[in-house]
Amino acid sequence: MTIIHHYLRKELLILSSFIVALGFLTSCEKQPDLGQFGNSNVTDNNSANIVAVDSSTVLLSTVYVDSVASAATTFLQVGTYKDAYMGQITSQAYLQVRPPAGLPALDPLRDAYDSIGMALFFRKSNPFYGDTTIPQTFEVHQVVDTLYQLPSYANGWWSNQYLPIGPALGSTTVSIAPNLPYTSQNAGDTVKIRMDDALGQELYNMAYNKSDTLTTLSTFLNWFKGLCITPGPASGGAMYGFFDSCLLRVYYRENINGASKTKSIDFTLYNRSAQWNYITNNRAGSPTANLITPTNIAQPPPATLSSVTGNSSYVDNILGLTTKLSFPYLNAISQRPDYIGLLRAQLTIIPLAGSFSTTWTLPPQVGVYATDLHNQQGGPIPAQGSGSAQTGNLVTNYFAPLLSTYTYDVTNFVAAQITNTAPGSNQVGLMLSITSPANLSQWRRLAIADQSYPTQQRITLTVYYISLYPHQ
Amino acid sequence: MKQPILIALLTIVSVRMMAQNNNAPYSQLGLGDLDDGYYNRTSGLANTGIAYRSNRFLINNNPASFSALTNQYFTMETALRGQYIHYAGNQVNVASTESADITFRKLILGIKITQHWGSSIGILPYSTQNYEFQVPYNIAGTTVQIADHYYQGHGSVNRAYWANSYEFFHHLSIGVDASYIFGQLNQNDIIQSSPLGSTLVSTTNNTNLQNLYLTYGMQLYGRLGKNWNYSLGGTYSAKAALLAASTKLVLNNDSVTLQNIQNQEGYMYLPEAWGAGIALGFKQKYMFVADYRYQNWNGVAALNSYPGQGYAVASAERGSVGFEVSKQKTFYNTRVELSYLQAGVYYANSYLQINGQQIKDYGITAGFGVNSLKSPLAYSMVFQYGIKGTTNNELIRQNYANVTFMVNFGQIWYTKGKKFD
Repeated sequence: MTIIHHYLRKELLILSSFIVALGFLTSCEKQPDLGQFGNSNVTDNNSANIVAVDSSTVLLSTVYVDSVASAATTFLQVGTYKDAYMGQITSQAYLQVRPPAGLPALDPLRDAYDSIGMALFFRKSNPFYGDTTIPQTFEVHQVVDTLYQLPSYANGWWSNQYLPIGPALGSTTVSIAPNLPYTSQNAGDTVKIRMDDALGQELYNMAYNKSDTLTTLSTFLNWFKGLCITPGPASGGAMYGFFDSCLLRVYYRENINGASKTKSIDFTLYNRSAQWNYITNNRAGSPTANLITPTNIAQPPPATLSSVTGNSSYVDNILGLTTKLSFPYLNAISQRPDYIGLLRAQLTIIPLAGSFSTTWTLPPQVGVYATDLHNQQGGPIPAQGSGSAQTGNLVTNYFAPLLSTYTYDVTNFVAAQITNTAPGSNQVGLMLSITSPANLSQWRRLAIADQSYPTQQRITLTVYYISLYPHQ
Repeated sequence: MKQPILIALLTIVSVRMMAQNNNAPYSQLGLGDLDDGYYNRTSGLANTGIAYRSNRFLINNNPASFSALTNQYFTMETALRGQYIHYAGNQVNVASTESADITFRKLILGIKITQHWGSSIGILPYSTQNYEFQVPYNIAGTTVQIADHYYQGHGSVNRAYWANSYEFFHHLSIGVDASYIFGQLNQNDIIQSSPLGSTLVSTTNNTNLQNLYLTYGMQLYGRLGKNWNYSLGGTYSAKAALLAASTKLVLNNDSVTLQNIQNQEGYMYLPEAWGAGIALGFKQKYMFVADYRYQNWNGVAALNSYPGQGYAVASAERGSVGFEVSKQKTFYNTRVELSYLQAGVYYANSYLQINGQQIKDYGITAGFGVNSLKSPLAYSMVFQYGIKGTTNNELIRQNYANVTFMVNFGQIWYTKGKKFD
């Protein structure tokens, strides 16, 4: 019996080790790939699913503010163009110049006045809009009223403010190829405007005399109140944003040993904050002609439903236009019997078909913001899991315009709104606005088709929610 | 002292290893893959043993068989199975067609309590579930893919039984197997973002099953002349309702609970089943066995709402035959079996009918066993090759090869000093 039990112990030891080893081996199995087999056999509605709802009503309104802060944008916006949706748009630039800190020592035996002109600079990345093949006329006027005397100077200048100007001191008609850039004056990226010699001579004489008017800045600004660069009356086609670092230049000749050399006295931009663009927009005859405009400055910016603006809403910040999106029936989704939670929500904006082209380009970045019952723009709506603002991720396709879309992850907004049944909650929404600083310097506009358009051409809010049947 | 340690070790390992790991595509339907193996002496006979009787091994094919055990004999059996599967079919990615696992299949004990009363308890797999697949998740009614759908199912339904049989008139044995069916079938349904794979929403469906399931057995046996002996067997199980308590947990992408539904109760029915078998022995050396088993799933189809769709349950049947050669030796007027060789073939229609095709399962087995003379242990090894399913009608065919290793421990108990008869 001892032999038997000894043998049994050995066998049990071997057996136990074998079993334990096999136990660990079970984790080494490899699984085959059986593709989609069984997909049709999975029980329907037994598990949570994702349901996409893209039929939620989105109301579009164009919110209009009568002016934007057009000062200190660093661009002299000058031009006029007619937009099929916005109407006639004109911008003229106001600025002040200052004399140079040190005046040259002019000798009447050696130096002589030559001419005066404005030099405007247009670089490759400067804003422009419209048909740039059409020559544009630019005029230079002198402001006939002081800038300083206006109280609004303390609050910054706005796009609807203007000052009286005198007759044109000079003008030029020029074609600008903005992407090169190149001007028809064969002066590279510079547009030169020859001005009235009477003014030039006067300034030259002051320089020769070391006049207090030039040596004392305040005196100069009281005398020379400012300049306004406007498009000429025959202009039309495009808007150009020149650098605000322009020059009012007085040319004189200096004769040395019988040779003549051209020299200049440059009057430069005095105060960027006092440089602004006065923008007018005649919407008559355009789809935006019926925009509701504010009647009182303290009134919240009015919102005009897309149904009265050509079934579209518009984003053109520099003209004071942004688009408000409201979702009056959004919380109906959360009241569906199978709704148990929100997964994500995506807003897809399709620019109105035919509204954009290589000439009438789209704003590359359009931000999405919160807005309230009073149509005030709130903070940016970040994507889910991200803290950064969204700009739409536009990929423009000019050959297939309907594939050009702005898309936004608006999960955070929808999550808060889908269960919001408070009074007025259906007037809380999203605001589409061009991101800063392009909102005050770029002229590109966006027209958005409302939901009266076919499905593939209109704005869509797609809500992906988690569905479970039966809902308990 | 060694026996309790071994039993404990086997129990612990069995808990870990009872579940199947191979991908079993058909197991997502119904109650999973029903296990038609007994992992005992009859495994090498293609699990043919309704009429089989043994004085040493536990033949749980028929509860009437336990009365055949040697008087006062305690015996314990356990089994491990290694399985290799090759998958074929249009749905199968040719780059990944194989799977293998090793699983613990049973732990049972038996004892001859009195001269005519044999009893056995144990735990066996009743069905197993293990599958996974990933499919594009499209917006309903469109081809717009917004995610991937990853399905994963696992679980097992086990059978803990207590079977007793009693011998009458030395030629008739009647037994009852009272089984407690219990287990859990789990399905994880995960919708993942594509291609990042992060979870968007997950649903875990757990179904806990439990109830009693009774099987009755009978064996009639005797000798035919000097060299032949026979045995006729039959089993019967009435249909039974398994109480199915389901829970459902839905989590969102931040693992926040969206729904937690507890204990939705229902019933899943096990069918009425019967089996018949015959065993013919010659000179206690050769044995021929044949079985036929039938499960009337049609009779419970209307009562059930098994998981899954796009399939039907159909009555299942299985036929098998086996042949065994036993090598024995006589010690002091006692015949002792030293080893045995077995072979068998089987053919079965399973209870699943998918895409109009009833899933078939057929194959061959070969077994070899050795009984230790120096210890109370007996070992056997069974090789099985079979084919399940088909590549027709977008189905999957599984060519599988099993190697089952079984150990039997036996000892005389309650002898009051007498070690052996």
